[in-house]
Amino acid sequence: MDKSYFIQLAASMAAVAALVGLAAWVGISRPGGPLDVERVRAILAVEFPGRTLDAVWVAADGSGALARSGGMALVLCPIGDGFAARQIPWAQAVSSSFRNGQLRIDLADIAAPVATIALPSWPPKDLAA
Amino acid sequence: MKAFDPVQMATPLFIITIILEIVLARFGKAKANYETRDTAVSLSMGLFSGVAGLLTAGVAAAAAIWAWQYRVFDIPMTAIWAWVALILLEDLTYYWFHRLSHERRFWWAAHVNHHTSQHYNLSTALRQTWTGGLAGTWALWLPLAFLGFPPAMIAIQKGVSLVYQYWIHTEAIRRLPVWFEAVFNTPSHHRVHHARNPRYLDSNYAGILIVWDKLFGTFQPELDEEPCRYGIVKNLATFNILRVAFHEWIGMAADVLRHPRHVLGYVFGRPGWSHDGSRDTSATLKAAWVKSREKDG
Repeated sequence: MDKSYFIQLAASMAAVAALVGLAAWVGISRPGGPLDVERVRAILAVEFPGRTLDAVWVAADGSGALARSGGMALVLCPIGDGFAARQIPWAQAVSSSFRNGQLRIDLADIAAPVATIALPSWPPKDLAA
Repeated sequence: MKAFDPVQMATPLFIITIILEIVLARFGKAKANYETRDTAVSLSMGLFSGVAGLLTAGVAAAAAIWAWQYRVFDIPMTAIWAWVALILLEDLTYYWFHRLSHERRFWWAAHVNHHTSQHYNLSTALRQTWTGGLAGTWALWLPLAFLGFPPAMIAIQKGVSLVYQYWIHTEAIRRLPVWFEAVFNTPSHHRVHHARNPRYLDSNYAGILIVWDKLFGTFQPELDEEPCRYGIVKNLATFNILRVAFHEWIGMAADVLRHPRHVLGYVFGRPGWSHDGSRDTSATLKAAWVKSREKDG
């Protein structure tokens, strides 16, 4: 590899940085705002069609949510201006670590390793079983 | 002698048009959304895909030259008919490469990162694979060299195809004239290809000519009543570029280690295949969608 290759690579890196900076400065991400129960239900209906939701918990800051659907927990993780959804056994969600108002769910997925959801308490007493 | 590389030549055009798309979207003149970290991942994937490609470029070039030594015909690089024939045959090869890359997990593992953005803008076009060369898909182009097309000619046409496919990654262009939509791959057709709606899965594999999808039964028009939702069936919850590049390879390796008796299914089955049927493939998602539509009347 000659010197011109590295010059070209460095110039490309500078161009990438400039474009990312422009995108950040201009601020044209998808409009969203914090989640509420209705929006969570709507998103989960698309992600898991036909599933009945027994209960929904929305993060205190509106970023992320958790729902129980029978024996499964449906988890909504915020990612940029969008969301990623995963399902795990309900028992696994119930036993997830809860410290300082943060529920930390290990999703055991290389593409979605952990979901952190701010909740006032966990697990819910009436639905823990 | 410096080789003619259409992608390298088009790089300034990539930069200018991304700036244009962002600015037009900012002033409400074009439809486009750019999320900062998503854009950073897309552009960085593109930047380093070139570096990763160097690892296997020599092998791919050597294989093409080897195949060309045993060519059936002597095809001149200067003849117009030869270029017309190559445009058609290379595009047909691309169609099957692309279909294989979606319908078999081993090659999906290399291609999936191109589909991981939940956005569809010009930066998404540059979210290119780092592992395509290792997956060996370049071998699909060897028959062209064996037929007699010079390897340099094939490389140029592959580059032209890649540059063509850049501009169709946009929401800024809604529909093009009917005759163009009928023959060529367009932003509308390719939006469908990047959509994760069950109705749109596994469709529109075309490179330049959409006619291949119409011929082989994989064409799906974009429908106004069903806006595209972009990304993959199980969207990523991370912007970690290493996870974006390698997550499917790691997932596949984990499945093989857990279920060695089902190695063929987990490596060469359809994405989402599982030995116990506990996961969703495009086919099961489509079937569930059809069932839910019938239920809703």
